Amino acid sequence: MEVKLLTEHYGKAEFQSLEGYKKIGDGYETLKKALKMQPKEIIELVKASGLRGRGGAGFPTGMKWSFLPENGEPRYLLCNADEGEPGTFKDRMMMERAPHQLIEGMIISGFAVQSKKSYIYIRGEYKDSLRIVEKAIREAYDAGFLGKNILGSNFTHDMDVYSGAGAYICGEETGMISSLEGQKGQPKLKPPFPALKGYLGKPTIVNNVETLAAVKYIVRDGAQAYRKNGTEKSAGTKLFSVSGNVMKPGNYEVPLGYPLKDLIFNLCGGLKPGRKLKAVIPGGSSAPVLTEPEAMRATMDYECLAQMGSMLGSGAVIVIDDSNCMVDLLNVTMHFYHHESCGQCTPCREGTGWLHKTVASIASGHGRLQDIQLLDRISKNMMGRTICALSDAAAMPAISFVNKFREEFEFFVREGRSKVKGEGFRHAQMHH
Amino acid sequence: MPKCTINGKAIEVKPGTTVIQAFKAAGVEIAHYCWHPGLSVAGVCRLCMVQIEGQAKLQIGCNTLVTEGMVVNNTSEPVKEAVKWGLDFHLINHPLDCPICDQAGECGLQDQYVHFGKYDPEMAMPKQKKHKVVDLGPTIVLDTERCILCSRCVRFTDEVSKTNELGIFNRGDRSEIGTVENKPLDNNYSLNTVDICPVGALTSKDFRFRQRVWYLKEAASVCTGCSTGCNVNVYYNEEGAWRVKPVQNEKVNGYWMCDKGRDIYKFVNKEARLQTAKVGSKDQWRLLEGGQAAKDVGDSLRQVAKTEGADKIALVVTGQYTNEEYDSLLDFFNGTLAVKNVYHWVNNPEDMTGFDGILFRGDRNPNTAGLKARLEKRGLKSDWLDLEKKIKAGAYKYVVVAGPENNSVFPDLESKAKMMSAAPHLVWLTAAKSEAVDSATTATYQIPLKTFIEKDGTYTNHVGLEQKVKRGTTIVAGALTLSEAVSLMSGEELDFSLRPKPLTNLKTNFFTAKRGEL
Amino acid sequence: MFSLSEEGVAFVKRELNRYEDRRSAVIPALYRVQKENKGWVSPESVTYLSHLMDIPSAWIEEVLTFYTMFNKRPVGKYHVQVCCNISCSMNGGREMADHLCSTLKLKEDEVSGDGRYTISRVECLGACDKAPMMQVNDDYHEGLTNDKAVEILRGLK
Repeated sequence: MEVKLLTEHYGKAEFQSLEGYKKIGDGYETLKKALKMQPKEIIELVKASGLRGRGGAGFPTGMKWSFLPENGEPRYLLCNADEGEPGTFKDRMMMERAPHQLIEGMIISGFAVQSKKSYIYIRGEYKDSLRIVEKAIREAYDAGFLGKNILGSNFTHDMDVYSGAGAYICGEETGMISSLEGQKGQPKLKPPFPALKGYLGKPTIVNNVETLAAVKYIVRDGAQAYRKNGTEKSAGTKLFSVSGNVMKPGNYEVPLGYPLKDLIFNLCGGLKPGRKLKAVIPGGSSAPVLTEPEAMRATMDYECLAQMGSMLGSGAVIVIDDSNCMVDLLNVTMHFYHHESCGQCTPCREGTGWLHKTVASIASGHGRLQDIQLLDRISKNMMGRTICALSDAAAMPAISFVNKFREEFEFFVREGRSKVKGEGFRHAQMHH
Repeated sequence: MPKCTINGKAIEVKPGTTVIQAFKAAGVEIAHYCWHPGLSVAGVCRLCMVQIEGQAKLQIGCNTLVTEGMVVNNTSEPVKEAVKWGLDFHLINHPLDCPICDQAGECGLQDQYVHFGKYDPEMAMPKQKKHKVVDLGPTIVLDTERCILCSRCVRFTDEVSKTNELGIFNRGDRSEIGTVENKPLDNNYSLNTVDICPVGALTSKDFRFRQRVWYLKEAASVCTGCSTGCNVNVYYNEEGAWRVKPVQNEKVNGYWMCDKGRDIYKFVNKEARLQTAKVGSKDQWRLLEGGQAAKDVGDSLRQVAKTEGADKIALVVTGQYTNEEYDSLLDFFNGTLAVKNVYHWVNNPEDMTGFDGILFRGDRNPNTAGLKARLEKRGLKSDWLDLEKKIKAGAYKYVVVAGPENNSVFPDLESKAKMMSAAPHLVWLTAAKSEAVDSATTATYQIPLKTFIEKDGTYTNHVGLEQKVKRGTTIVAGALTLSEAVSLMSGEELDFSLRPKPLTNLKTNFFTAKRGEL
Repeated sequence: MFSLSEEGVAFVKRELNRYEDRRSAVIPALYRVQKENKGWVSPESVTYLSHLMDIPSAWIEEVLTFYTMFNKRPVGKYHVQVCCNISCSMNGGREMADHLCSTLKLKEDEVSGDGRYTISRVECLGACDKAPMMQVNDDYHEGLTNDKAVEILRGLK
């Protein structure tokens, strides 16, 4: 069953405007409530709600906020709308269908962390999102929800948008900060963490679109009401972007802990007639792939997927049926990480290219048997060795693909052709 | 003061010390490329991996502060494995063209591979193709395939020279260091990027393809290019000196030196030198041995002082000599001969106090401070106009000049030499050969002197810090130190058998004068 | 010699003051240059922006070459970007890119003879539920077939 908390009104076009947001939804009523609370109260409430970051890492939001120094001005709130994890398209929908929900969640969050300035960093390709959010911000200013002394309180908050320009790595919070600073989107060394030294070296909180939108509902309904959905460690609802080989791909909001099987076969209408489930990538292309038996057992929450050696990630579920060649799909995925590595840390810069070239060589029918083992070895030596998680994000799928579908890789090497598709792929050529 | 244990060795460090600094302090080897003590921490080469007791994940030493009681090692299997692979990641796209690479012999990749390497390369794929022989500016050539993208050079131009010419363009394994159209790497500190480049990506146009570094010897010295007195190594072989690189000294130059300073090796080489004494004038010069010339001059000077008075002698001194040489010079002239007419030749009075905010000073002499202090101590007041006036008036019979060692920083050489050659007798003590003096119209002695690399002594820099220079090599065997010349003038004998022998195989250093061309 | 229009210059100056730090204006300024320069950013315009913005040209070049949405070479009037990431690849994205190239008789990343098109393969554009898809300049076209894609491109004015 879908539980439409955040997405309740997404079907209605007028929800995009302030007028519609007030008429259909509850307008900025929750902001009014929040401004009467103590900022610390809100942080405690968010902690109690069990909300975890919806961008990929799943870090507890309230705890992240409490890392900010007691004092220190200025401090910034940044909304990470640089949605780029392959398979993910939920933030785009959230911005386009319900920009005010995000803005309201952000003002409340900004109040909670006592920030006077926030930016929404939107990936460059999302021109519609940018336009819609910018318009909504103007509406919010006009209505007095942004700017000086919001709704007569002594809280002042300004909000602006910033457009990325095409770089997956800017979805990493410190990469995003670098980009917002007008630089290459290269992640920054940690420590210091952004809560102490972030945007322009000042205390900064970075949260995902969905996380910030969820804050509104936690404040509106209370922590307990929010926890009614989900599991002990994975509270609330979550949007899942389902794509690949399902009949009804799309975004689905379900309680965390929802069975993956039901997501695929009930909500998404299952596979094409005659097709069998082969594998599922449960959390965006960097999440280790699940085999069909694993997928059938999996529930969509942080702990179950972690226990299976994968991760919930951004909630992008890529459903793979038996018409796909796993060597080919790994090649596509490795192409992506090779293309997107920012290039500063050596193991990632060199490792992503090495992985890609090696898979491409197998996928074009020129692989050697030792290349399969090598993929695993390269990957393991890329993990945990770099500033950010992109290196791991490339390594994890590689390790899981070659180990869980080794037979397909071996077949390709032995026969020089795909076990599934029958030929070597001209797509395996390098494109850069 | 936190105490910590580095590979079993207990040491105490200052608060704020990073793990990599603690390794260095403990004298323990640790692999690294991007970290440089004079630059910000980039943390990108990922080689200074360490295992910290109580922490599951390996950490990089450059971005981890030492805390009280920390127990760290870089010898555990996980660290070794990480470093081995880290090195291989650096090498998979590196051309491994060591046989034709200038860095060979002093290359970070070579050196660290020997210590920490994996020794079983597994890369079987085609390497990334990148730009080669990229002309970055007047001083430097870049090979982007050799580059390991440690970003030291970029950080240098952003943080030290603050000239921002360099960037890392593109991303992933297509990344390349480079400059932008119309903004070449052209600043007075550019060659430091070559020094800090751990591989052969950045090479100096002045030095590349000239020598194999393992055939060069190095001599610790002090840069004589200006009054800052940067600590340097001069690299030489039997053909002469080939390059100068900075040596760390926190009190003076940090880790750096300027490009102008690097030119000082040129005036010590044979081609730039006065190799034997000359007597005569413009129309005709007779060659004689330097020691003999000094003796002859000394005889005449003593005679003049005795018969006509010390007022007939003027001594002109540049800020180019060591304190010890000034002492013997002044002891003889001012002490023995009682010459009071001592003049300080200031080569560029209009920018003597200039400073670029980093290292380079307008006073292009190593020892102006030492000279001034000594003149002051003896109560000698130098008045250049007085010299000119008196020469014109014929007041001096002898003008003795301790001239420039490095002619190139004396823009006024020609005019001053001409002015001084109006005296009946000119004695020119100098390491450098010079057309200006060769054109002297009066009776002149030119006596060949040694350069900073050929003698021991001290220079006093602009803040009064005395720094030693030591003899590294001998390039012109027949040249004298100023002190030796003075001893001979005063009638003493020198035991020439104890003096340095000329180098064998002394050949022309063909490239000396061609700095800045490819 | 490239220069921005009067409005372009005014835009860049506004952007320099819009964010907490003026360097943040580099990305918007490059977008503006691209818009006024037929869809790409030339080397000379980097120098131009450096002077206009008083920001080192190397910093601008770094940004220009880091982000894929800035074109470093001329592109067609319609820059067609076909997603070839995983979900689109599973649904014919790569074949669609090939089909467009062969139908329009041009190679990837090249400008067609009439200057109208450039076809590029790109990474995930966040429209995976409507694969295959393409972005033409700023607009998304989703849920395509090969024929539909050709029809859309042919129909562009």
